[in-house]
Amino acid sequence: MASIDTTYQVGEGTYRRGKSSQKHLFRHLPTYVILYAILILGTIISFFPYWIALVTSLKPSRLLYVGAPWSLPASFTLDNYSQALTKYSFPDFLVHTIIFAAIATIGQIVFSTFAAYAFARMEFPGRDAIFWLYLCTLMVPNIVTLIPLFILMRTFGWVNTYYGLAAPYVLGTPYGIFLMRQFFRSIPQDLESSARIEGASTLQVMRQIILPLSRPIFATLAIITFVSAWNNFLWPLIITNTEDLRVLTVAIAAFQSNYGSQWNLMMAATFIALGPLLILFFLFQQHIVRSIQLSGFK
Amino acid sequence: MGQRQRGIGKPAEGMEARTDHNPPVPLEISSLDVRTRRTGFHGAGFRLRTILEAYLFLLPSFIGLLVFLLLPIIAVAVLSLFNWGLLSTPKFIGLQNYNTLIHSQVMWHSLFVTIYYVLLNIPAQTVIALLLALLMNKKLPGIGIFRTLFVVPWMATPVAMGIVWQWIFSPQYGSLNTFLAFFGIHGPAWLTSLGLALPSVAAVNIWQYVGYNMLFFLAGVQGIPEYLYEAAHIDGASPVRAFFQITLPLLNPTLFFVLVTDIIGSFQVFDTVFVMTNGGPEQNTTTFNFLLYREAFQYFHTGYAAALSMVLFVIIAAVTLIQALYFRNRTVYDLS
Repeated sequence: MASIDTTYQVGEGTYRRGKSSQKHLFRHLPTYVILYAILILGTIISFFPYWIALVTSLKPSRLLYVGAPWSLPASFTLDNYSQALTKYSFPDFLVHTIIFAAIATIGQIVFSTFAAYAFARMEFPGRDAIFWLYLCTLMVPNIVTLIPLFILMRTFGWVNTYYGLAAPYVLGTPYGIFLMRQFFRSIPQDLESSARIEGASTLQVMRQIILPLSRPIFATLAIITFVSAWNNFLWPLIITNTEDLRVLTVAIAAFQSNYGSQWNLMMAATFIALGPLLILFFLFQQHIVRSIQLSGFK
Repeated sequence: MGQRQRGIGKPAEGMEARTDHNPPVPLEISSLDVRTRRTGFHGAGFRLRTILEAYLFLLPSFIGLLVFLLLPIIAVAVLSLFNWGLLSTPKFIGLQNYNTLIHSQVMWHSLFVTIYYVLLNIPAQTVIALLLALLMNKKLPGIGIFRTLFVVPWMATPVAMGIVWQWIFSPQYGSLNTFLAFFGIHGPAWLTSLGLALPSVAAVNIWQYVGYNMLFFLAGVQGIPEYLYEAAHIDGASPVRAFFQITLPLLNPTLFFVLVTDIIGSFQVFDTVFVMTNGGPEQNTTTFNFLLYREAFQYFHTGYAAALSMVLFVIIAAVTLIQALYFRNRTVYDLS
């Protein structure tokens, strides 16, 4: 098809330039349509499970098998949620989960910041070796350490306590330290150097220079840690065996073994866990996306 | 004995002679300067203090690392040499656990399941994520929104999402089979079928992590300078060729990172297996990790489970090492 462009001969090949934008769009319209179709399809696939959980949770039992599973019911009901929240202690489980996640998050922010600053800015013997040690532990599968950890907690008498639940996480994780260190290294050193020359102590430097600049990374790390604790299943499963301290994930699994076939009820239970995270995601999506990108740069 | 003459000559014109014999005092002196001078900004005292400070800063997280990561690894190695039911007293049995392990049909089956799972999971996840990243790199209006939306699955609680997918995969009224019925296809019982259970679980994992991996690849692709593609275009290379000759090689660092973390992650899959299939049907979704959990925390074969843990650790270390060696000579970090 004729196009208004100029074609140059450069070496062995041709190099086109100067297409008019209208012709460009028209020629490439089918491509654009296909690309957008893929994007929309991907979005539907990404959201479909959330949709189905929400829609099913709003269906009364009699309408559960009426129509397509993903269709909106003729009449909505909040019965499933009220059942989960009033008859089955889900509010308690929610509270336990939030406390656990909060402890892990605060601990992570506090202790990882100090460690990361030491790795990023201070010089001391063994710095790189110790940092590599931290990184290597990321390779150890979770389950390998769980058996001795459980025995350790049992020895301390920490089974079924917040101590036992939060202990492996409260002193910071290697991933958090890694993330913070990368961020600290991106802060220009001049600010700190000039403060040092003025005689500022390390704590002063941290409080007055690093901290204000680090708000974005704190937000990011806080969200990551919170979500990770919220989603944690294996460790709470092992360390708690009563309802006193049960967290959401374990509660949902236990719920499944009793009411697995009542799908509307189950979907309400799962959405209690999924819903808040969805809201968190949309509130903080730039931080979340940034954290993923930050951790990719070695 | 008079005062030794210190001056070199007459004071310059216009300057008054000094009347005091003290050395000139800088105007900016303050207590801070005195302190810095005393300890020395670059002196040994400062350096020692920094080192102590650094160790202090490191201490809490290092204690955590030691107690909750390093010592347990050693403990597991030691534990694997014992027979212990957790309620009884441990009994030293040397390498017998490993002997049992090697002869265990269940163990080999779970190893096979795990490897099969990794093979189902990783290539699909990586390829789809890479293609999506290329798509996301195009300057289409509104592309930023899609980029964010694709990451939504990543944050889903695996336990909860596993149950949702169980509902989707449900043979009679699940969404998948209802959808297939529109095309006249009678969908199978996905999660209870011997051959389809594991791929179904793998599909859920792919769904969850594609968007996450896509972001890594996107960052990597965006780091490739435009002029390389232009040069290739001038030389007459097709887009496909440009992809294999430019994009892929320069993505090697990202690819390495994604592959290592994804493979380690898939060896650790637990939540979805637990709620979707509980290891069934007939152990066909019992990954190594799941077997370990069962032996340790349902049967309380603590020593045996510890031996299994060591095996898992060694396998993952070996796989990671192989990848590190493969990528060592293929990664180009400097693009200047």
